[in-house]
Amino acid sequence: MSARARVRRTNFMLDILLFVICILLLTPLILLIANGFKTPQEMLVWPPTLFPKDPTLQNFHKVFTETPLLQWMFNSFAFAILSTIAIVSTSALAGYIIGKFPFRSINIIFVLFLATAIIPFEVYMIPLYFQVKALGLLNSIGGLLVGYLVMSFGIFLIRQNVIASIPDELLEAARIDGAGELWIFWYVVLPLLRGPLAALAVLAFFQAWTAFAWPIIVTTRKASFTIEVGLANFQSAYTIDLSLLSAASAAVMVPSVLAFVLLRRNFVEGIAASGMKD
Amino acid sequence: MATVEINELRKSFGDVETLHGISFSIPDGAFVALVGPSGCGKSTILRLVAGLEEITSGDIYIGDNIINDIEPKDRNIAMVFQNYALYPHLTVAQNMGFSLKLLKKSKVEIERAVKEAAEILGIGELLHRLPKQLSGGQRQRVAMGRAIVRQPQVFLFDEPLSNLDAKLRVQMRAELKALHRRLATTTIYVTHDQIEAMTMADIVVVMRDGNVEQVGRPLELYDKPVNQFVAGFIGSPAMGFLPATTKVGSNEMVFSDGQVLSKPTYATLDGGYIIGLRPEHIRLGGDGASFKATIEASEQTGSETMLVARLADQEITILLRERFDTPIGDAHAFVIDPTAVQVFDSKTGARLET
Repeated sequence: MSARARVRRTNFMLDILLFVICILLLTPLILLIANGFKTPQEMLVWPPTLFPKDPTLQNFHKVFTETPLLQWMFNSFAFAILSTIAIVSTSALAGYIIGKFPFRSINIIFVLFLATAIIPFEVYMIPLYFQVKALGLLNSIGGLLVGYLVMSFGIFLIRQNVIASIPDELLEAARIDGAGELWIFWYVVLPLLRGPLAALAVLAFFQAWTAFAWPIIVTTRKASFTIEVGLANFQSAYTIDLSLLSAASAAVMVPSVLAFVLLRRNFVEGIAASGMKD
Repeated sequence: MATVEINELRKSFGDVETLHGISFSIPDGAFVALVGPSGCGKSTILRLVAGLEEITSGDIYIGDNIINDIEPKDRNIAMVFQNYALYPHLTVAQNMGFSLKLLKKSKVEIERAVKEAAEILGIGELLHRLPKQLSGGQRQRVAMGRAIVRQPQVFLFDEPLSNLDAKLRVQMRAELKALHRRLATTTIYVTHDQIEAMTMADIVVVMRDGNVEQVGRPLELYDKPVNQFVAGFIGSPAMGFLPATTKVGSNEMVFSDGQVLSKPTYATLDGGYIIGLRPEHIRLGGDGASFKATIEASEQTGSETMLVARLADQEITILLRERFDTPIGDAHAFVIDPTAVQVFDSKTGARLET
């Protein structure tokens, strides 16, 4: 067999393997979406049907009319967007400064930042709750945001990218050219960090979007739930009606899938190309 | 344009002093090369002049002003970096106009200045490309263009050609020199390549370990190096060194293997010395020639022959302007021109006038 044929055969086997893995990963997702369109009777059929025989929009209609699903989605969305903005800006600024102004005390601060990642959220969840309560921020986006303004991993990610892909000479050239430090940050550093910042934005967005423990503590009124809390609440109230839960879940997936599709390129680039040349 | 004066300049990083009181001055419009082995402090001087590092003590003048505490942007200098430091997200035109934009110059003015500089450098058709779409030589030109548009008082070059291949380096060397002739801007050029320094500079400053060894015109350094270090650093292939001894009243320098070099002026010397031989000052000798050396390697370039030979137990290089095919290991007779030989004190390394 020629080398070329062998390569082709290997590639073909790889394709098959990846295809199988892909199907395995996608099946539950497809089932979930399909379940949203099924009647309660069809839900219980065994083996489960992959495509509903008698698709109905009944479940979606019920979900959107009987629960404040849209309100929850808006809450989650506002929470995730604001958290993303905060994390991206704090990480960019802190990561750049730690990466390019390495005096000794800054390194101590950096280690402290990293150390916060070691402390489990459960440890400071209750004290944080009392603080938020004292601030009068319970049941508000502000209260949700308190724990989601800074991400130590984000600072780390940006610092590594700054060190790997922004040469000192570039900043020095800008200084000689007459640029101030803020100007350099805004017009030289930020454009060069677009890839990793976009990746971080996706991470931050999903971190907030999928947050559960903190929102369930801070929100007590149904109207201020995030979607995760709402879905959980759903489950206890409608345990029997799986089709409703499926429909709600499927509806909820739409924004996150959209966000990923839109930012996918940046996401992959930012994580993979942090050590890029030139 | 301006003179640059460096006065008792010292720089320490923590407890380590890397510049030990450097002084030299650069006349208006001169092209000065700072040259020395890596770690000698030449780039540090450049960064101090640029204002990228803080001066520990001493003064730097540009024109009549002390610039020690002036911000880099207000020093009226432009710097070209080894890796070009082009803004990757900006086009060539935007890169070149960057400093003018910061000076709040009008769009028309910036465009004109960029066009002018691009014409001088022959990169007019590249103005809308991004740096990553350029070759090494083109990037180098853009970096120079960025410096030119500012019309600075002083150009600073930090090993600008070391990322280019050999052929392009020679070409850019000539272009840089021509550019300097045209603009006549005072230029400080840092390099570790003594050929670059010799071919481009009006004045060469040779440095070692944070000290200036010698300041002078290129051929002055070649013909009259102050010490053995400069003699060995300047010139390629490098000067060969042979230990020798003499006595007062004797015209003869005796090498370790007993061979003798004689010159009347040696009569005043006494003790151990180092004899410096430029490769081109050794010729093939016929009968009666004074020195025997064993050939250890031979390189033929067509126009000349370079031999590595062992003479008095030292390796020396011999450059012949003729073809000379010889088996390795053969001994040959050579003539050394005693008037071209340099003598160094074996303890201090200082060159002696003989």
